[in-house]
Amino acid sequence: MTEHRCDVAILGAGVNGCSIAYELSKRGKKVILIDKVVLGAGASGSCDDMILLQSKKPGILLEMAFKSLDLFEGLKTELLSDIEFETRGGTILIEDEEHLSIMEEFVASQNRYGLEVEIIDRKRLVELQPLVAEDIIASTYSARDSQVNPMLLMKAFLLGAKQKGLRYISRTTPVAIEQLASGWKLLLDTGDVVEAEVLVNAAGAWANDITKLVDFQVPITPRKGQVIVTEAIPPLGETNVWSAQYIVSKLKPQEAVKTSAGESAPTQTPAERFGLGFAFTGTHNGNYLIGSTRENRGFDKSTDPEAIALLSAQVERFFPVMSKINFIRTFAGLRPSTPDGMPFLGEIPGAPGFFIAAGHEGDGIALSPITGLVMADLVTGKKPIFPMEAFEPGRFGGKAGL
Amino acid sequence: MDKDRAVGDEKYICRCEEVTEAEIREAIKAGARSVVEIKRWTRAGMGICQGRSCRRLVERILADELKLKPEEIELSSFRQPVRPVSIKAMDE
Ligand SMILES: Cc1cc2nc3c(=O)[nH]c(=O)nc-3n(C[C@H](O)[C@H](O)[C@H](O)COP(=O)(O)OP(=O)(O)OC[C@H]3O[C@@H](n4cnc5c(N)ncnc54)[C@H](O)[C@@H]3O)c2cc1C
Repeated sequence: MTEHRCDVAILGAGVNGCSIAYELSKRGKKVILIDKVVLGAGASGSCDDMILLQSKKPGILLEMAFKSLDLFEGLKTELLSDIEFETRGGTILIEDEEHLSIMEEFVASQNRYGLEVEIIDRKRLVELQPLVAEDIIASTYSARDSQVNPMLLMKAFLLGAKQKGLRYISRTTPVAIEQLASGWKLLLDTGDVVEAEVLVNAAGAWANDITKLVDFQVPITPRKGQVIVTEAIPPLGETNVWSAQYIVSKLKPQEAVKTSAGESAPTQTPAERFGLGFAFTGTHNGNYLIGSTRENRGFDKSTDPEAIALLSAQVERFFPVMSKINFIRTFAGLRPSTPDGMPFLGEIPGAPGFFIAAGHEGDGIALSPITGLVMADLVTGKKPIFPMEAFEPGRFGGKAGL
Repeated sequence: MDKDRAVGDEKYICRCEEVTEAEIREAIKAGARSVVEIKRWTRAGMGICQGRSCRRLVERILADELKLKPEEIELSSFRQPVRPVSIKAMDE
């Protein structure tokens, strides 16, 4: 048995655990980062690469995404290895007049909030995306939408933190957590023990496996997304692409589900059953990622032919040229989803020094720099630059039963 | 900033993604212990052949660096498709 001592023990080496570890190590804290599997085994190793501002409703998450984007600019040079951060802009394809008017309203509200995004007509869209399907009538465009390679980001955070003394332990998990007079004691499944002043639970969709050890539950559930990876091809266009359908269904669920008049119990189409939305981005290496679905299937990470067929048909619908392209891989990841779409960032009620930073759903990569910053502030007793009320771990009730 | 790609006497392990033996050994020194981790860290095995030509070589380097027997290396998983498939073929 080995006993480790540190200032902060972080559970979960996804993008958020790594970002928090990096920020705390930079501030001189002695950190141990523990993952049940390995770095990137969760959502952060199985996701898209977008830092997307446009999809967000005006509010604190959009403000935090703005701040994160600034932080990425700094990280790009501060981190020791390349993270493939790029700003290519983003376009959300609009298929019909009805969606156009909804998107016009949405874009106007984002503009009032300071996000530079506009509606462009088909002519301008074709300049950005020459191969887009002929019946796409318009698009949004935001010049600031960016992307980053999540795996390289985690690796850069980890190596940066290691340089400042971080210890990374993979393939182990706590089986019991005890409160000490000052701090916490983790009993690991290897028999080793970790004593830390502060604990941070950054276990994404699995966060409850850890909070339950102190009898606390947060309503985080896994939401599966399936993705196709194509062979490397020359760039099709300039921007990253989504379809308005997904945004519309978030804003106005009744508009998105088009049923014929008088139909009383609309049956779900396969696309609805899989929560299909279109996200299409080209990676640094020339592979395209074709996503994705939003499914509640527990912790099952398998990909299935029906979803892959839907994703294939969808990309052909928006970019007919893609029918000729080969795909080389498929994968699925589990987004940590919460009932109100807000992550849990803060101290667990009744468990002083036990923090949680999980539940970023589809924005965890984009929000990882700001998550690292606010969590490091909370852990070191500094006031974060954002109000944290909306992220309270106890907002759905519950108190640790220590 | 592009990753330095050694030339000349450097040996490519993954030809699809041009990953050298040195890069793989470096990943293991930084903490990688399985083929999956090496793949995520270096992109070895992520290319068009999906690791069919380099997986064995990566396993051998892992065994060497970690002083393990080949059968002690963690097994790697495969996701469909095992060979490239066209988008068109998939949607039928
Ligand atoms: C298909 C798809 C596409 C996406 N696209 C984007 C995108 O374009 N942009 C974006 O910003 N976000 C995107 N996301 C969301 C993003 O991937 C997540 O929000 C983010 O990765 C969450 O990171 P995390 O560090 O909180 O959790 P995770 O990455 O899930 O990490 C949690 C870690 O905790 C570990 N763990 C689990 N249980 C334990 C335990 N008991 N003890 C110790 N460790 C444990 C796991 O092994 C894992 O490594 C996408 C997600 C999916 C699935």
